Amino acid sequence: MLKTMLKYTFAGAVLFPFALLLVFSFGQNWRFPALFPALWTMDNWQLLLTSQSDLAQSLLRSLSISAGIATAATGLGFITAKHIAYHPWRQQWLTLAYLPYIFAPVILAATLQFFFLRLGLAGNVPGVLFAQLLIAYPFGVIFFTGFWNDRMRAMEQLSATLGGNKRQTFLRVLLPAAQGALLVCFFQAFLISWFEYGLTTLIGIGKVQTLTVKVFQYIGEANIFHAALASLLLALPPAGLLWVNKQVLFKTS
Amino acid sequence: MFLQVSNLSKTFGKEQVLRNLSFALDAHRMMSVLGRSGSGKTTLLKIIAGLESPDNGRVELEGKAMNETPAHLRNIVYLYQEPLLFPHLNAFENIAFGLRLRKWTEADIRQKTETMLDHLELNGQAKKMPAQLSGGQRQRVAFGRALIVEPKVLLLDEPFGALDTETRTAMQQLLKRMVAGSQITTIFVTHDLKEALLMGDEIALMQDGLLKKYETKADFVQDARTGVQEEIGFWTNIQSR
Repeated sequence: MLKTMLKYTFAGAVLFPFALLLVFSFGQNWRFPALFPALWTMDNWQLLLTSQSDLAQSLLRSLSISAGIATAATGLGFITAKHIAYHPWRQQWLTLAYLPYIFAPVILAATLQFFFLRLGLAGNVPGVLFAQLLIAYPFGVIFFTGFWNDRMRAMEQLSATLGGNKRQTFLRVLLPAAQGALLVCFFQAFLISWFEYGLTTLIGIGKVQTLTVKVFQYIGEANIFHAALASLLLALPPAGLLWVNKQVLFKTS
Repeated sequence: MFLQVSNLSKTFGKEQVLRNLSFALDAHRMMSVLGRSGSGKTTLLKIIAGLESPDNGRVELEGKAMNETPAHLRNIVYLYQEPLLFPHLNAFENIAFGLRLRKWTEADIRQKTETMLDHLELNGQAKKMPAQLSGGQRQRVAFGRALIVEPKVLLLDEPFGALDTETRTAMQQLLKRMVAGSQITTIFVTHDLKEALLMGDEIALMQDGLLKKYETKADFVQDARTGVQEEIGFWTNIQSR
């Protein structure tokens, strides 16, 4: 009985913010201390369907940037971590990978903004991609350093003595063995990019409006209904990815 | 000679692991190499397998120099103490791994792998994942995976080190039977005196980066450095008390 109650309480606590955002995304005209908006409407959601909508474009832009960052950080991190893990200067290289985390992203962005401006990378998507990669790529490297251990090296060597060339060993041994770790890294790098605000705002100089930037903009404008809708859109892809991750990882294990 | 190792030297940092080491081995023979930890056994096997490069010296197989041949083209399989089964493949696929690399047809892979499973007394275990197998079963799968590709040389680096006594004895017998059946030239490295005597057609001692191969097992028994006399003394003392 207690277990069931706890289960439902937990589920309720997790779902409550989503439900609240959903409710407000259909509302208009809310005044304190009313519990719900005075007017229910589809107008907010219809905003998404219009081709000129800022929100729809921000959603697509955010999805593209985050998917790109997650793919690049996971792929590059996987390969780079292998070279670092077996390098005699492993520790020094790893220290370098931690460098971007010494500063808060906003301070890092402020420091780098001058160089981005000079390189013509400020205020455009490639610049934001590059800036976010400065955070996500080292994360991928640090994440995979533990994966490339002595056991993995022994498996790689075993595959070679069984007749596997580098490509075969990579495709038939290393990649399948890393499947779970690759998924987790992709998910986490996606989240890093998806919720990134400081770097994106400063390097994007307000011209690259991701969904996260949009949420803050709506909140700043006190537009709680659009903020609720944007927040809901912001929460859905990570929730979906988390579910996919869980399905795949449980299937693998 | 089938396998000829000449003047191998290898240094890691300031430590010289192999010192002008030489030996030869005929085809279809199993040579036991007894040696303590740190005597250079693993380095020797890895150099023969092509997983390490020597500082000096040559490895020849069937009269052909192997130094420049990459590991995957040598057809020399190196087995670790741990079975190291690929965690994403079941027992059948682990054994069939080398055949798939060689792009055999599905029918041939199935036929040969099933025969191997039969020889290894692993019938009914084919679909099990590595985590579902016992230590002995995992080691059998590892042997099957190595033997199925019919390597020219099989290198075994203390393969039974992690097994309990009973399983170890059973595995020793199984390995002897299988290697004899497949006529594969084998180097079997161990730090266990009895195992070295039991397993090899020929026997050698590795100490301080040097390898001494004995003409007969009697010579090995007589040499004080091998520890056999000490062992005999121990049991004689126990018996006389």
